[in-house]
Amino acid sequence: MYEKEQDRVQAYLDGKMSRRELLRSMSALGVSAAAASTLIGLGSTRAFAAGFDAMQHQGTALKLLLNKHPYTDALLANLEAFKAMSGMEVTYDIFPEDVYFDKVTAALSSRSSEYDVFMTGAYMTWTYGPAGWITDLNEWIQDGDKTNPNYNWADMLAGLRASTAWNGIPGGALGSADAKQWCIPWGYELNNLSYNRNMFDQAGVSAPTNMGELLEVCAKLSTDVEGVYPIGVRGSRSWATIHPGFLSGYSNFGERDLTVGDDGTLSAAMNTDGSKAFHRDWVKMIQEYGPKNWSTYTWYQVGTDLGAGASAMIFDADILGYFMNGGGNKETGNIAYAPFAANPAADAPTPNVWIWSLSMSNFSQKKDAAWHFMQWATGVEHGLFGAQQMDFVNPVRQAVWDDSTFRARIDETYPGYLHQHDVSAPGAQIYFTAQPLFFDLTTEWAATLQKMVANEVPVDEGLDMLAESVNNQLADAGLG
Amino acid sequence: MRDAFRRRALPYLLSLPALLVCIGILIPFGTAIYYSLQRYRLNLPHLRKMNWGENYLKFLTDSEFWNTLQVSLAYTGLTVGLELLLGLGIALLLQRSTRFNNFVSILLLLPLMTAPALAALMWKLMTNPNFGILSYAASLVGFEDMKWASDPSTALLTVLLVDIWVYTPFMMILLLAGLRSLPRQPFEAAALDGVPRTFVFFRITLPMLTPYIITASLFRLLDSIQQFDIIYAMTQGGPGDTLMVFQVEAYLQFFQATNIGKSAALLLVLWVITFILSNLFVKQWLRLREQAQGAG
Amino acid sequence: MDHQSTLERVVRGVLIALVLLFFMFPIVWILMMSFQTNEQILRIPPSLAFEPTLENYQALITGRLETQAGTLDIRFMSNLWNSLVLSVCSVALALVLGVPAAYAFARFRFRLGEDIAFTLLSFRFAPPLLVLLPLTLYFQELGLADTYIGLIWVYQLICLPLILWIVRGYFEDVSPDIEHAYRTAGHGWLTTFRRISIPLTAPGIAAAGLLAFIFAWNNFIFALVLASADKQPVTVGALAFVTASGIQYGQIAAAIVLSITPTLALALYAQRYLVEGLSLGAVKG
Repeated sequence: MYEKEQDRVQAYLDGKMSRRELLRSMSALGVSAAAASTLIGLGSTRAFAAGFDAMQHQGTALKLLLNKHPYTDALLANLEAFKAMSGMEVTYDIFPEDVYFDKVTAALSSRSSEYDVFMTGAYMTWTYGPAGWITDLNEWIQDGDKTNPNYNWADMLAGLRASTAWNGIPGGALGSADAKQWCIPWGYELNNLSYNRNMFDQAGVSAPTNMGELLEVCAKLSTDVEGVYPIGVRGSRSWATIHPGFLSGYSNFGERDLTVGDDGTLSAAMNTDGSKAFHRDWVKMIQEYGPKNWSTYTWYQVGTDLGAGASAMIFDADILGYFMNGGGNKETGNIAYAPFAANPAADAPTPNVWIWSLSMSNFSQKKDAAWHFMQWATGVEHGLFGAQQMDFVNPVRQAVWDDSTFRARIDETYPGYLHQHDVSAPGAQIYFTAQPLFFDLTTEWAATLQKMVANEVPVDEGLDMLAESVNNQLADAGLG
Repeated sequence: MRDAFRRRALPYLLSLPALLVCIGILIPFGTAIYYSLQRYRLNLPHLRKMNWGENYLKFLTDSEFWNTLQVSLAYTGLTVGLELLLGLGIALLLQRSTRFNNFVSILLLLPLMTAPALAALMWKLMTNPNFGILSYAASLVGFEDMKWASDPSTALLTVLLVDIWVYTPFMMILLLAGLRSLPRQPFEAAALDGVPRTFVFFRITLPMLTPYIITASLFRLLDSIQQFDIIYAMTQGGPGDTLMVFQVEAYLQFFQATNIGKSAALLLVLWVITFILSNLFVKQWLRLREQAQGAG
Repeated sequence: MDHQSTLERVVRGVLIALVLLFFMFPIVWILMMSFQTNEQILRIPPSLAFEPTLENYQALITGRLETQAGTLDIRFMSNLWNSLVLSVCSVALALVLGVPAAYAFARFRFRLGEDIAFTLLSFRFAPPLLVLLPLTLYFQELGLADTYIGLIWVYQLICLPLILWIVRGYFEDVSPDIEHAYRTAGHGWLTTFRRISIPLTAPGIAAAGLLAFIFAWNNFIFALVLASADKQPVTVGALAFVTASGIQYGQIAAAIVLSITPTLALALYAQRYLVEGLSLGAVKG
């Protein structure tokens, strides 16, 4: 095909030419920006194919089940490159996030062989794995014939590799030696502070570094900045309320959701004194400085408020603050980022993470071909493509984090983002105990928080009741 | 002879196709009953076994179940009752068949045409404390701290408001149909005799309208006791357990906890309640029909 | 009863105005939002003044959404088409099955008649979730998963009971004497049904059909669970604007407006029938 163009692309990939230079030279050759993207994809995909039979599944057709998400957009923008490299056919179904996981559960519980690969989060694999719906991917990762020697599994951030591996035993440590790799990390988010620089300047405060400071900063913001509430966190009756800022701060004090006994039984740990103290601060923070409609707040409302200038900061996914600094938002360009360790005695933040991952359906008829695709989709090359040109952020691979083009792009428009990530990444992992009742218990936890914030039940009493209920449910499921 | 046979067979021939198409649904229904008699959680497959009525027995001592029952019944009673009153009132206002009234009645169907799931999303925005026009309006008239769906004391009210907005038109259109199809003679006779209007309404209009009221209320009842879209989109059953109705609880049990046994048992309890209530309505409806035919 | 005092007219007018205000305000607000960008919608405090933009509709109709991250494909128009196919076919099937059955229940007293009628009604009160879970398994085996036919069949749970019970009422309102007269003139049962019974109750059937159409149109759980992305109706499709980078309220509003339009058109077109249907009493004399 186009030799001249390919040379330019190679030069770009080798770092000899900037993206802008490349695009300029391409347009001189009559290649549009979109076509140039595809060529870059093809070029980087060539690197993937070196020393490995990329065509081994030529002619096989795969079907993906995807969530409507920027990661998906990045995948679709580069999908032609994969098809050209592998000779495979790839089709996909995209569902909105609001209903996405229900669709996955419906498809898998009916044992449908329609989808080969699908997007998921690590928490969901705690259901899918024991239910027998997904495959342990170690079998493929370890297989030299099926896995590209350049795949470089070790390059995946260690905390994420561990967080997506579980031995299936309730309470079993994530990433243990006997763990099964239920999914491959794809893109992830950790929880820290994103804040509005103008509002912080107006109040004359800087980013707080622990819970006590946070409450002080909130107090200052609420008096000095008119018509704005200080801090946004999620509050809907769902596990999603527990896992972001809340659990990140909670874990920073060394508190746990459950404790695993010597005999392997699980018991509730939410009613310790430390936990009660943290809950009291958290409830006070919401009551005095949170959104009025807190108990209906999901990720969308938390983000929207920051982007539209209704809130001064959020303690939520870093990537949410990242999106709110992008197009179409009133506060675009005003958002900054900071690491946050709730416990003044802690050395570093301990953000709980959400990991968008790829899983292989156990009902797939084409598992080898599916793995072929998964390697490419979670490989360094596609990661670089997505991180440099699309919003495929946060990357899960060290090689991408080390990429200067990516770092330069982020540093330019997202002040403090790289810093908050670099400081937090070592402690970033899943802090929940892996067990099949995850959704039952976290949903009830969220409901209890709602009752506390509404002053329907005092914090201490609410947590004792929660612990009792959790213990009953664990016992009932033979886990307690 | 052939004629007599055909006359006897005809009603069956006419109603059978409808029945046959729906009967296929009975098979999954049977499967669901079977599931409800099991300890069956998709992510704890090794524990799966028949436990007969245990899922149901547990409900008796489960305070969450009783809360769900109470919320569901209260929600149904309030929505059906309020929508009936409001729908009847509007139907009376629009009773005369004028161009204007007919146009208004079509306009009023617009909320019903908005999918409840999307309508709830819009109401959530309208009641947002920062950007919501309703919150803003409320603050102008002194309700600055109105928390709408996120406070236990106003959550039910807010969701009721949305339900009333969406479904009153349904009530209205069926009752309007009934009102306009009433025979004229009794009213003309009453007018000639100078009977007071309230008397006419309670003694003539209302009794004659009752079959329509029953049909409309029955369909509202069937939908309302199974309410899901609006509540799930607005509060997911919260805050706390304030709005936890059967379908939301069963949905969470199925899709999140993958607790098939409990989910099926909850839904079957809901089915039994609906069955009993509908039976009462239909019996009443049939009785009224007998009366009407006896009188006519 | 046509004499209205001035006071009564005023009270009536005020009440109708209040009713319109409550029911129309959110609709008008949604309509206005559909011409605004997200930034304009998310203003504090909300404001009535805005510069209208057509970009929401443009994005939905052309199927391309321009964002700073690139161009995204939107399948909204195909969602709209799916809604149309599913709703029209389901209502049509429900009418073909339901109208004769309704006639049978209205005209004949027959053994098990009321039981069959109640059974048919009872399909309406089986919670959809209850049958959906096992149904996914059976559909998989029957090959009905992800087909329009399978969905249209399941949609009968929504449409058929509604049509059956409403139309039954209308048949009962029409005096059997008219049919009798026609039949004694030597016409067969089928001809009588076609030429007399149906036309006399047509407005009622139209009204019931419209309501069934609306309920079918608004459903989303059936298609979500039983079909893949290319067969999803607008109710699921519109949720695609709840994106990771924020809720695109403008586009959701435009989606609502576009999704109401076919139903509204149908209602306005059928208005004449509806009005007649609503005044069936005239026929009865």
